[in-house]
Amino acid sequence: MRRKLSTFVIAVLVALATAGVAAATNGGLTPVQPESPNASHTVTAYWVIVGFTAVIFFLVEGLLVAFIWKYRSRGRGRDVEGPQVHGHSRLEVIWTVIPVLILSAIAVVVFFQLPKIDAAPASAHPIHITVEGHQFYWQFDYPNKTRSINTLYVPVGAVVDLKVVATDVIHSWWIPALGGKIQAIPGRVNHTWFMAEKAGAYEGQCAELCGVYHASMTARVVAESQAAYDAYIGAQAAATIGKQEWSGVCATCHGNLGQGGYGPNIATNATVVQVTGLTAILRNGFDGPTGAMPPVGDTWNSTQIKALVAYVKKNVYKAAPVGGTTP
Amino acid sequence: MATRSEAVYPVGWKSGRVASWLVTVDHKRIGIMYIATSIFFFALGGLLAILMRAQLAGPGEHFLTKNSYNEVMTMHGTTMVFLVVVPIMAGFGNFLVPLMIGARDMAFPRLNALSYWLFLLGGIVLWLSWFAKGGAAHAGWWSYPTLSEAMPWASPGHGQDYWILAIHILTLSSILGAINFIVTIHHMRTPGMTWMRMPLFVWAMETYSILLVLAMPAISAAVTLLLLDRQAGTHFFIPGHGGSLLLYQHMFWFFGHPEVYIMVLPAFGMISEILPVFSRKPIFGYKAVAFSTLAIAFFSMLVWAHHMFTTGMGIGLDGFFMISSMVIAVPTGIKIFNWLATMWRGNLIFDSPLLFSLGFLALFTFGGLTGIFLAAFPVDWQLNDSYFIVAHFHYVAFGGIVFALFGGLYYWWPKMFGRMLDERLAKWNFWLMFIGFNMTFLPMHMLGLLGMPRRVYTYHHGGLWAIYNGISTAGGVLTAIGVAVFVANIWITHVLRKGARVGNDPWLADTLEWYTTSPPPPHNFDSVPYVTSARPLRDLRRRLAEEAT
Repeated sequence: MRRKLSTFVIAVLVALATAGVAAATNGGLTPVQPESPNASHTVTAYWVIVGFTAVIFFLVEGLLVAFIWKYRSRGRGRDVEGPQVHGHSRLEVIWTVIPVLILSAIAVVVFFQLPKIDAAPASAHPIHITVEGHQFYWQFDYPNKTRSINTLYVPVGAVVDLKVVATDVIHSWWIPALGGKIQAIPGRVNHTWFMAEKAGAYEGQCAELCGVYHASMTARVVAESQAAYDAYIGAQAAATIGKQEWSGVCATCHGNLGQGGYGPNIATNATVVQVTGLTAILRNGFDGPTGAMPPVGDTWNSTQIKALVAYVKKNVYKAAPVGGTTP
Repeated sequence: MATRSEAVYPVGWKSGRVASWLVTVDHKRIGIMYIATSIFFFALGGLLAILMRAQLAGPGEHFLTKNSYNEVMTMHGTTMVFLVVVPIMAGFGNFLVPLMIGARDMAFPRLNALSYWLFLLGGIVLWLSWFAKGGAAHAGWWSYPTLSEAMPWASPGHGQDYWILAIHILTLSSILGAINFIVTIHHMRTPGMTWMRMPLFVWAMETYSILLVLAMPAISAAVTLLLLDRQAGTHFFIPGHGGSLLLYQHMFWFFGHPEVYIMVLPAFGMISEILPVFSRKPIFGYKAVAFSTLAIAFFSMLVWAHHMFTTGMGIGLDGFFMISSMVIAVPTGIKIFNWLATMWRGNLIFDSPLLFSLGFLALFTFGGLTGIFLAAFPVDWQLNDSYFIVAHFHYVAFGGIVFALFGGLYYWWPKMFGRMLDERLAKWNFWLMFIGFNMTFLPMHMLGLLGMPRRVYTYHHGGLWAIYNGISTAGGVLTAIGVAVFVANIWITHVLRKGARVGNDPWLADTLEWYTTSPPPPHNFDSVPYVTSARPLRDLRRRLAEEAT
């Protein structure tokens, strides 16, 4: 009995320690702080379900503990039987009907919250942005045809309609503070939306296993003033696209300096500064003795590829010594 | 009779200690082989789980490479579902169903042996995938295309092909086994055992078998199409050529969700056998418990797309699958309340089978309740594919199914082997696993809510992410120690022969398997009493007591 008690005490302490850590920072008992109306209403629905399920949880677990305590054997022999009760129709009907009512209530709450989660406010004029999932990066197409990689810039307070697509494998778009997930499925077009209510940077990452670098496929949404947004898609995006491509796409496998990592060393490979050869590899992928490369740039236009070559020439490429080995 | 039993094991090589197991068609031996093989794979799958937890113990670790993490994760899931839970249920069913219904053997003993050997073959093929060119399958246990297709940047090499072949073999094994169970249960019940007098575990195995027959062909078809894509140049799941990735998801989950109930219903059946015996009461509401099993099975065929809420199916389908998923909670709730009512005013004897059953009740309830969050599809959009899901299904699959399995092992062990496992070690086993399990999986709910997706080989956040992951890994180690105590218990009981010998019915139980000797003879029963209720052994004890006075 003492051993049982001490194990129980340890269990309670562990549970309290865990709950204490969580409560102290309010971390992990609720979805992350919502910063968009759809995310806020999701959290509302979450708390309503917490309310209903908590009642059932404490009822069932409470009865369980109470019965364990109250009806424990206390040294009675195995041959001592409890009352031979075979059932009770009215009771059983009650514990069938009450869950039906509770679940109906939850369903009603969900359908009540749904329009505010699923659809953007009707009056708003949304900014339409295409999100393309790739092994292993996110590409964003703005209304004026500019692009950015891994970081999406949006104006604070604007409704953003995201068209979510992919070309290689399934990915899943997820910025927890800005709402739920939507899969990026090759061959399908999905939509989701958000409206960042405060300026700031919101982090997220791909939520559907997409290959070796699934864990590195992070995304960030930067909500900033309308002026800053206009400036970004006006000129900055195009000016930095080469750098974004290198650090957001190439460097994942080949290393920041092209020194190699999961992929081979490309810092001294002349193909990286040769537009035609590089275009072929980016558009079609590459399958060689050192491993396979996905067609990471299958939706890149020639301006983008030229920008990448320019960036690589300036910052990464180290021409191999000419004329063979020198002593 | 004497000549007959000689004929069962004729002289020669077939009666050898090892050979007699290799050629056996005895349902009890086949059942034990199923269970032993599943426990072996449970240890392997558990080892993979520990490897993953080691990799995730802290941020940015390099214990496993990202490639091998995906392989380990895929093999862990596939092993636990296809090589542990489904076959171990077949093992319990094999051992118990004929005994519980007073039959001599399964309806088709040779088919039964074939099912087992196919299961073993499937397991070997799956694990050979480690040695395949390109490494083991690494597209997750769902193997969603296009990641599981043969493109060089997806799943080239043959690991995925081994996976497909293993699934085909295991599907065949399961369907053959299921047909055998159905025929046995329908045709071989002893006189007097009407449907309403059948042990609830047999009800569960009947339902398990029907679901296997209905659901398994869906995954067979799905992986066949995948194999054709990979090896014969078709484009079922290659969107650029007109294929559809959603088609695979639908086919997979049309199997995948009934699969959850294929795994959990026999566990429910075990709980329905154990709770009454250790509460010294009849099950509360036999009919409600039996029919809720059928209801769960029926609705389990209608909920598959709740795994696909984030695929953009549209609100109409999302709504339908939310409602159907919530409907399943009702018969499940009926079971939980009936089990609680079974304990009410009982004489609770805290032997290990009851401890594990109570652990099951506590943990499964929690896992069921978190399921409601996931059925509510807008909330699921936030929680799906995060660690919240991992936590949820482990509460159901480990906290629910595995705890029930351990309860079942401790309960039927004396019947299978004639010796009682050590009760003190059993209690260590329970508490280590109970505490370890909660430490491992409770924090995962929080990790999911914090934004940690599942199936990532690493993370770079410190703070709470690191703390929760650290607790989780520590809990994993504790759980593993708990399982090791179980193995030690078997060792002490059988190899050191410390386990006490038992008679026919050490627990004063209710059902027919306790009528015969422990372990039962090859022919099971010399005679079977006429069954007049769902508790023939209690009836018998009462008759004997009356005669004695």
